[in-house]
Amino acid sequence: MTNRLAVQPGEVINRSVSLAFTWNGKAMTGFEGDTIASAIAANGIDVFSRSMKYHRRRGIMTADHWDPNLFLQVGDEPNVRAGSRKLLDGMEISSQNVWPSLKFDLAASNQLVGRFLSPGFYYKTFMRPQFMWPLYQKVLQKFAPGGEIHWRSSTHGAYDKRYAHPDVLVAGGGPAGMAAALASAAAGASVLLVEHYTELGGHLRWGDGFQRARAAELAAACDENANIEVLVDSTVTGRYDHNWIAVNQRSHTIAPERLVKARAGVLVVAPGLIERPYVFAGNDIPGVLLAGGVRRLINLFGVKPGTKAVVMTANEEGDDAVVDLERAGVEIVAVLDVRKGQSIVAVQGKSRVTKVETSDGRTLSADTVVTATGWTAPTSLLNMGGDRPVYDATAARYFSNSLPSNILATGGIAGDGSTSELEAHGWATGELAANRALRRRHDRITQTARAAAPTWDKPVETGDTRTPLAREPHPECYRSSTHGMVDFSEDVSSKDLIQASKEGFDSIELMKRYTTVTMGPAQGKLETVNAASVLAEANGVEMADIGTTVWRPPYSPISLGALAGRILEPVRRSAIQDWHEAHGSTPLLAGQWVRPDQYGDAMAEAANVRNNVGLIDVTPLGKLDLRGTDVPKLLELVYVNKWQKLDIGRVRYGAMVAEDGVVSDDGVTGRLGENHWLMTTTSSGAGAIWEMLEDWLQTAHPEWDVHVTAVTGGLTSINVAGPNSRVLLDRLIEGVDLGPDAFPYFSVRQGTVAGVDGCIIWRIGFTGELSYEIHVPSGYALHVWEALLETGADLGCAPFGVEAQRILRLEKGHYIVGQDTDGLSKAPTAGLGGLVKLDKSDTLGLPELKHAYSREDLPILVGIQTVDGSIVPEEAAQIVDGDSNTILGRITSSRMSPTLGRSICLGQVDPSLSMAGSVITVLLADGRRIKAVVQEHHAHVDHEGARQRV
Amino acid sequence: MSEIPMHSPIDVGPLSAPDGNVILADAYDSTKIQIRAGQTTAAAAVLAVPYGSSTRTSEGDLVCGTRPDEWTIYADSGRTDAITDLVPTEGFVTVIDITHGRAMLRISGSNAVPALSKICNLDLCDELTPDGAVFSGSLGGVSCDWVRNDQNGEPSYLISCERSFGKFLFTAIADACVEFGLLIPGGWELHRH
Repeated sequence: MTNRLAVQPGEVINRSVSLAFTWNGKAMTGFEGDTIASAIAANGIDVFSRSMKYHRRRGIMTADHWDPNLFLQVGDEPNVRAGSRKLLDGMEISSQNVWPSLKFDLAASNQLVGRFLSPGFYYKTFMRPQFMWPLYQKVLQKFAPGGEIHWRSSTHGAYDKRYAHPDVLVAGGGPAGMAAALASAAAGASVLLVEHYTELGGHLRWGDGFQRARAAELAAACDENANIEVLVDSTVTGRYDHNWIAVNQRSHTIAPERLVKARAGVLVVAPGLIERPYVFAGNDIPGVLLAGGVRRLINLFGVKPGTKAVVMTANEEGDDAVVDLERAGVEIVAVLDVRKGQSIVAVQGKSRVTKVETSDGRTLSADTVVTATGWTAPTSLLNMGGDRPVYDATAARYFSNSLPSNILATGGIAGDGSTSELEAHGWATGELAANRALRRRHDRITQTARAAAPTWDKPVETGDTRTPLAREPHPECYRSSTHGMVDFSEDVSSKDLIQASKEGFDSIELMKRYTTVTMGPAQGKLETVNAASVLAEANGVEMADIGTTVWRPPYSPISLGALAGRILEPVRRSAIQDWHEAHGSTPLLAGQWVRPDQYGDAMAEAANVRNNVGLIDVTPLGKLDLRGTDVPKLLELVYVNKWQKLDIGRVRYGAMVAEDGVVSDDGVTGRLGENHWLMTTTSSGAGAIWEMLEDWLQTAHPEWDVHVTAVTGGLTSINVAGPNSRVLLDRLIEGVDLGPDAFPYFSVRQGTVAGVDGCIIWRIGFTGELSYEIHVPSGYALHVWEALLETGADLGCAPFGVEAQRILRLEKGHYIVGQDTDGLSKAPTAGLGGLVKLDKSDTLGLPELKHAYSREDLPILVGIQTVDGSIVPEEAAQIVDGDSNTILGRITSSRMSPTLGRSICLGQVDPSLSMAGSVITVLLADGRRIKAVVQEHHAHVDHEGARQRV
Repeated sequence: MSEIPMHSPIDVGPLSAPDGNVILADAYDSTKIQIRAGQTTAAAAVLAVPYGSSTRTSEGDLVCGTRPDEWTIYADSGRTDAITDLVPTEGFVTVIDITHGRAMLRISGSNAVPALSKICNLDLCDELTPDGAVFSGSLGGVSCDWVRNDQNGEPSYLISCERSFGKFLFTAIADACVEFGLLIPGGWELHRH
């Protein structure tokens, strides 16, 4: 470790623990506590990366999270921020986006044609000719920056998420932030203190002995305070309405990243300041560092940043850097004091700085240039709260303009001061935040039904009596007389910005989008102020008149994995789904439900239903228990048919339309008692129908006595279908006469099945066979299912899945809402003619229904059979006019029928083709056109219903 | 019918962290009775528990004010008839046994709230959800009814959802509890991807 210094007083590395890693395949070592960058730098490496567009050599500049030159590949993880990510033993680290190597990168030839890669180059060049775009796309993809993802082989673990509800969330763990957290906690508020880096302390961490000691005291106090939860190595990435705050927590033991979604009473913004670079020719050559970067390398990590340094300073940070450099044994070639009119004009060098040109005409030999020319106030979170910061020329940075009451700012972002002054402001801010947050909490408790009465009084509102922090004068020091990089991430120079202004992109927002300045991974933290300054210069106006770009979330880039978190997609399972899976069913995801699609041979399952008896689990059918004297009124309102005279023990089919007359749902409803009904809906419509019923009851007819209870999961539904179904059920049902006269088609009974009381049995038929639907209390469903199979073994009883059911219902010609109808299908299209009662006084969609039945142009659902019965047209295949492409309808359902041994279909056709015997043309997906014939009935099998009405 | 086993959608024995700070248990076989009644009915007067709170009766039944004009009673297995007999049905009153239709679980321990907060956006602090609080809210994307029902001085929640979501919900909560040491049976597929 050639650049490792002797032990530094404030260093955070543990020299007793050595960590091995590789850098571009070369073995190296670092220490516990090193960042990746500090470890590599300690091994004498100057060049870490190549720039995005011109592939210029880049080295350490800020040595922190924002360093635009330190995006590296670590194992299978690209774009790792080596300035802040801690080194781990065994890391395989490499530079990214270089070929064939970091040292000899062919793409560096872009520098030779740099004059052609001006702002807007992409927009200007790749617009035309349009047919070339696929080629352009491939070329551009080759030059896309960033590392490589290895999503197939990645060992990256799952990401995580959690929620939090702190009274006060403090963004920033420097002296002001820690003081604010402690003050809020002392006032009784719960506090979430979020620090970007791995330790609390902010800039005090690389300060003098007093500052480091104070940082440690404050950090210890925060850690020990029961009211404060400290999240280090975490970033507040966004503030949204009502203080919905996103925190990206890195390096947690449970996951590489965790997104914390916090609803905070008050947000205290205390991110400190971010040092900004100075713009001059060669300002991106390795060896040019910011003062803070130099101080972090020396004081935190014991790394010597160079041997001979020129320091350009406009403030104390630069002055302190000189002291640190001298202590580290770096020769100070010159100190250029901006306050005395001195500055750097340009720097020369290739892989490292060699010469420095100064404003007084000197050319100095040095390998290191250090600049301390001011700070960017990272006002992102304030922007996200609606603030538009205003430039202060005296202090040479932006300050908050106006904030909502639930956001407060403190620390460097609010002004300047000594450590104690920053602490005092932070403390006052924390007290104010606690006052506001606790008043809010008191309101929430007193207004929440489930909460207990508060045991404490609501705090009296206190005004904002904080003594503002001073705004220390600072030279406006942005650009030299030469041009240099403004945005190091995007390779945008001051020359580019001036050119953009000349081309008319002379507002800060337009310039940003045209040149992409501030749009890279640093998200403007280093470059925004310099960009505004260059634009002001180009436009010939004051900085204050330029305005700012609007900082939006995220504050710092966040991985997609963290945003996704864990995938929580609820899945519904019937009480017998485990049985289905244990018996070889192929799972089918239907909406949220997992269902058995088939058990190996759907055609055989369907045939067994026709010949013997089959069982299917139809639990997902929506089931609503309706009780009350006004249920018939509700049914009259929502169904197109009549319900007032349905007798107890009878079941009726009903269809619903929306207010536009479009068929929305269907099902059967049975009357179980005088004031007790059971409604079924489609599986997919269950939730929506329940909400619709409640909506009508609560908003339009609160005077009706109707209680609706969803019982879909409580009643497991088993359809027993086939000629042997009655024989089978006779063996298991007690208390119900299953004879055709005692229990006719479309009837309902309640009884005991396989010893299970409280079952509801209704006789209906979706498959076209004699069949019964049994609704069983779900806790006993598996018992009933297994009893049916066991008892019916000699009758050929076997389970059938959804696919067999679809075949059977298509043979019978039963349509499915949403499959054979669509968002435009009105009642006449679905063939509901006999069902719809237009003489009702009221029903949903009645005016539209009346209009629909006066029309003759609506498509009609018909049964269809292809002339060549071996061809099964794809569902959604178009029905066209002969050889033309004029669409006259489409196939809505199609299957091969095991009963008929040929293909069968349902389809919507133009009314001119709806007559039985009409020959139609079906355009298949492979381009073939086949002939098919419209049938007299929807049903292809047993249209008289003889099989089910026995 | 008593000899017929009641099959839970969860069907897993209690899971626990070695330190006991989080325990997750199936409670499906609890009797669950839902009562809907207007405030002026005799049923409302008998139940007498305000919306948002709960109380334990002398018989040990937990009576919860689940929603305005709606109560849920949780009790030991097999108490359906006993409970329904207690509720006057004069007026417009609906009493439904929802035992089978609701999956139910209990999560207890000092780490219950941190674990739940991984998949739930409700503020579960003591002041907003004290012992006895009754409320509804999404947990792991599933609509749930909650009762805070502390046991042995430790936070404890009875959580119920539509039965068909039960297995998913239990697994999602178990997954959230892994961070706090919950021991998961071998072969379980958690929501870790």
